[in-house]
Amino acid sequence: MRVLVVEDDQMIANGLLTALRQDGYAVEWTGDGAAAAAALHTSQFDLVLLDLGLPGRDGLDVLREFRRRGNATPVIIVTARDERRDRVRGLDGGADDYIVKPFDLDELAARMRSLLRRAAGRIERCMRHGGVKLDPAAHTVECSGVPVVLSAHEYAVLEALLQRPGAILSRAQLEDRLYGWDQPVESNAVEVYVHGLRRKLGRDFIYTVRGAGYFVPKQ
Amino acid sequence: MNSIRTRLLVALLALSAVASLLAGALTYQRVLVETSTLFDYQLRQMALSLRNQVSLAPRVQLPADPGDTDFVIQIWDPFGARVYRSRPGLPIVNRAVLGYADLELKGGPWRAFGLQTFDGVIEVAQPARIRESLARSAALRVVVPLLLLLPVLGAAITAVVGGSLRPLRRVAAEVEQRDADSLAPIGPGSLPREIAPLVSELNQLLVRLGRAFAQQRSFIADAAHELRSPLTAVRLQLQLLDRAPDEAARLEARVSLGAAVERATHLIEQLLTLARSEPQDHQVALQPVPLERAAEAAVEDSRVLADARRVDLDLQADPDTRVQGDEEALRTLVRNLVDNAVRYAPPGTQVQVRCRRAHTGAMLEVMDAGPGIPQAERTRAFDRFYRRANSPQGGSGLGLAIVKAIAERHGARVSLSDAPEGGLRVAVAFPQVL
Repeated sequence: MRVLVVEDDQMIANGLLTALRQDGYAVEWTGDGAAAAAALHTSQFDLVLLDLGLPGRDGLDVLREFRRRGNATPVIIVTARDERRDRVRGLDGGADDYIVKPFDLDELAARMRSLLRRAAGRIERCMRHGGVKLDPAAHTVECSGVPVVLSAHEYAVLEALLQRPGAILSRAQLEDRLYGWDQPVESNAVEVYVHGLRRKLGRDFIYTVRGAGYFVPKQ
Repeated sequence: MNSIRTRLLVALLALSAVASLLAGALTYQRVLVETSTLFDYQLRQMALSLRNQVSLAPRVQLPADPGDTDFVIQIWDPFGARVYRSRPGLPIVNRAVLGYADLELKGGPWRAFGLQTFDGVIEVAQPARIRESLARSAALRVVVPLLLLLPVLGAAITAVVGGSLRPLRRVAAEVEQRDADSLAPIGPGSLPREIAPLVSELNQLLVRLGRAFAQQRSFIADAAHELRSPLTAVRLQLQLLDRAPDEAARLEARVSLGAAVERATHLIEQLLTLARSEPQDHQVALQPVPLERAAEAAVEDSRVLADARRVDLDLQADPDTRVQGDEEALRTLVRNLVDNAVRYAPPGTQVQVRCRRAHTGAMLEVMDAGPGIPQAERTRAFDRFYRRANSPQGGSGLGLAIVKAIAERHGARVSLSDAPEGGLRVAVAFPQVL
């Protein structure tokens, strides 16, 4: 899952980035409103955490423009502005959720999962496919009722593929979800993770489309 | 007795009583004079009429006893023997007078008139108490109704005073409704000329109070808002510490947590400093202090931060640069300026602190080679919690607000301009020590 964090307070941003990476998200960060608008214009994210009081350009302004362009990516406003007026304006401005600082990390993580689930059209907390069950909250995977131990990257690849069964994800798209801008990408990494997943979940759980990417078949 | 109504009531009633008694006394006096004149005339008339009768008639024909009028008539012959006395039982002097006379007798004073005739003396006398009782009853007729009217007058005074004080009661009721949340001015209504100035002063006070409260509220709101960021960082790092998967992550979280706590502490310290620097807090009297001593101390305070950021601190001060001030506050002022300069200065550059004596007073300058503040933002830079975009971490946004508050207390003027090195130059001009 690829998340954009827009937060001008470096200390808070660092903490958030560490926490989100620990949860297996690929995280990008910017502390500037104009840079955030540019990033949203050029890259695809699964979720955005947006501060409002930003240098360069106000967060709400960035959000409104983002929605005007027809982008439905879930956005959570994370701000110190706690007045009702601000919350109403934020939600009406296109935010899917509004969290006031100081916030609880576990609550933020749960709200992010909820929005991601909703965005993927799921009702259930867990993703199920064949005999495989993935629990995004607990970060656990079971295969035919037996717990399977996955590395963080393997988990991220599996989660991306289960998000939309039948859709082909390219190697680059998967890399995007695994690494932030500032992280070095090892070549062959995606192949290695897919190989690991096949070993643990069954040979024909993930299909390869040569030259295009990977997918799990629709049920 | 500290009630206008009671005081007016007592004073006015006492005055009315005194006035009534005075009126009675005057009436008594006047009536006494008037009846005296009348009765004297009557005495004389009576004596004259007796002379005619006596001279026309023989001695046996004596006038009848006048009886109810209390007159006493005596007639003496030319040889001094009393030949007639109308009411023998009454105590009266056996002595003839000529003309008017006041006689002191055993039963009280008498008034008499004696008339010389060819064949003796006719004397008519009357007790003076008749005149006095007439005067007394006339006086009572005046005083009694007036005194009986006093309760009515009291009720009327109470009503009038109560009515006059009604605007005051309305103002009191309105003031009672005021508190920190509703400081609306008191409605003009129709106010008597005596109360209007009080209400107008009160309204001005309410306006000033309202302004002070609003400032206080916005300061608290700002402070609470600003505290959210360091507290968010603290909470985040605390949770990261809890969930750290390995020792390296734990160590990193612990270091970040320390920095976050440090930042919150700094913000709180700066808030307290600002609160203490507000001009209304005059705990320390200003006295002549050497500015360079405050500057030296402040530069030492900032030395650690400067060394950590590899910024050179250069202080040049004229000796004996005296300003009228509070040394501790001046040290805080310089420290905030130097801290700011050090935070914004690129590593390897110099921050210059200058203390100069001028004939207009003393001048403190702090210059850095940092990014400076654009012309358009220079006035806003003194606002509380003003922070420039992409400013270094850990700043509270209160530094220049503190500097301004302290400078104002010292009657000094703070100005921002471009430093020769391209960064910011902050100049604080102190007035001359008198």
